[in-house]
Amino acid sequence: MRTGTTAVTAAAPTRQREPGRAAWLLVAPLFAWVAVFVVAPTLIMLVYSFSERGTLGGVVFNFTLANYAAVFDPTYLQIVVRSIIFAGLTTLFCLGMGYPVAYFIGRADERWRNLLLMLVMIPFWTSFLIRTYAWVTILKSEGLLNSMLLQWSLISQPFEMLYTPGAVLLGLVYTFLPFMILPIYTSVEKLDNALIEAAFDLGAGPLRAFSKVIVPMTSPGITAGILLVFIPALGLYAVNDILGGGKVDMIGNIIENQFKGNARNWPFGAALGITLMVGFAVAFWFTGRRQPHTS
Amino acid sequence: MKRIAIVAAVLAAVLAGCKSSSTTPKELNLFAWSEYVPQGVIDGFTKETGIKVNYETYASNEEMLAKLVSGAQAYDLIQPSEYTIEALVKENRLQPIDAAKVPNLKNIDPKLRGLAHDPNDKYSVPWMVGTVGIVVNTEKVTDPVKGFKDVFQEKYKGRIVVLDDPREIVSWALATDGKGPNDVTPETLAAVTPILKQWLPLVKVYDSDSPKTALLNGDVDLGVVWSGEAALLYNENPKFQYILPAEGAHQFIDSLAIPVDAPNPEAALLFLNYILRPDVSKLISADFPYTNPNLEARKLLSPEELKNPASYPPGDPKLEGFRDIGDSAVQIDKLITDLKAQG
Repeated sequence: MRTGTTAVTAAAPTRQREPGRAAWLLVAPLFAWVAVFVVAPTLIMLVYSFSERGTLGGVVFNFTLANYAAVFDPTYLQIVVRSIIFAGLTTLFCLGMGYPVAYFIGRADERWRNLLLMLVMIPFWTSFLIRTYAWVTILKSEGLLNSMLLQWSLISQPFEMLYTPGAVLLGLVYTFLPFMILPIYTSVEKLDNALIEAAFDLGAGPLRAFSKVIVPMTSPGITAGILLVFIPALGLYAVNDILGGGKVDMIGNIIENQFKGNARNWPFGAALGITLMVGFAVAFWFTGRRQPHTS
Repeated sequence: MKRIAIVAAVLAAVLAGCKSSSTTPKELNLFAWSEYVPQGVIDGFTKETGIKVNYETYASNEEMLAKLVSGAQAYDLIQPSEYTIEALVKENRLQPIDAAKVPNLKNIDPKLRGLAHDPNDKYSVPWMVGTVGIVVNTEKVTDPVKGFKDVFQEKYKGRIVVLDDPREIVSWALATDGKGPNDVTPETLAAVTPILKQWLPLVKVYDSDSPKTALLNGDVDLGVVWSGEAALLYNENPKFQYILPAEGAHQFIDSLAIPVDAPNPEAALLFLNYILRPDVSKLISADFPYTNPNLEARKLLSPEELKNPASYPPGDPKLEGFRDIGDSAVQIDKLITDLKAQG
């Protein structure tokens, strides 16, 4: 870490000042927060994942690798793959719908911008679970949407929407859309109009200007949005239970079951969690390394 | 250093003073199932005794165990089902209940005392009794339904709700195979796997928290649910009929118990005696229409409440409770996860 920083400083044309004592004091709370709420729980999980199952839940501290052996089972791998597909589709839809919205808000007249942003954030004032249950009322077979479609004679039979994979995807996209819009918005807001005009002046069409100028300049927002949507979407299981009827498990359901379900198998739940965490840390590290080469 | 020692000594003296002087406890930490203890009952207890009740809730026996063994918070009363009582007693996690201080225990149905999970009635006091059975929307399902075999049929595919609880689901298959719910071995599990393989793809919704919702909404037409949920459905509309499966059904006795490290066991005993009073117990039945184990309270129930077939099933059904099955729970969890992933 330390050597990395000096290398960057040395390579940079303008030398940056070493942070003073006051700066360290300012970031100290953040370090303390990370240590207590991120590092410590992860270490506890790591220890648990190598322990044996306790009778009443909890763990018995006898070193074993059995929990990790159990993780690499075709069923769990299949469930992980399915969870990744759902989280990936959620990210894709959020990006497709969120980017135009963020762009529109970011480029809107300043008078409107705050109002539009507010509209994006209003759903946060209501509990996520209540909003998900609201979708049950909309999607159920005698629900709002079906009765409207029947009324307008668009369908003759109630359309089965609730307790389907589509309903789960809808619920996930609905939940995470603001997390895509907000970071992209902050990037769009900073866009330099002169650069876009320059692109047009140099003969770029709208598509070229968008792909060669606007997208690269907003890429920090896009990356942040993708991470903010994909990672939580992967672990969220409540939407799957409420809108999907719990018919197929997501990896979040499996982990939850080890702590709150019949099995009472904390060490295995911890091993699943650690495996996922390591898997994504590695994936993230690789994409992070590859980026400089592609651009 | 010396000053710190003095401060500590004073603090210790004050704390000790608090403990010895308080003959009547001030607080009761109640850790119970969500949607199971009416607010009116808690308020009534506080009004009568001056004891403040801290009511915390959980959604499964295992969730309760997780918090209990973590030791982060001490509870005075918990509300485990039989198999969990059994596991807790095995690990010396419960303290004996002084029956002399709970005179209202005499109101409990003698048939619910001295059972396998607490043979000497030392550790638990029944709260509510329920069964797991079949509920049918008779407007949509006209063929007779008597047992699990009639529910899990190809023609009802996509119209069934079941509890999201691997052990429950496996116990139904075991009953269909002529075995008891506690007869869980690798052999019996292998024997019921083909049955489960046939059943699970027919299910539309898995829901333990509120299985009545999918039935009320018309998204499914039949299911296997808690009797209390079925009783509420019946109260909503008598078209929802409750049937105890012919193959045999699971009866559960949710009880109150006092953890060994309870800070206010005296308050817990007062609460036990309070809820066993017929006039209080009646209030619990009004909100949560399971089978009330309190015979004196049953006398105060309305004829409609007693006629509800989900609360008080007629006849002499074959019922059995869940015992602690130890590590086999892990195998059950894996089996259902595997089958769901295949389906």
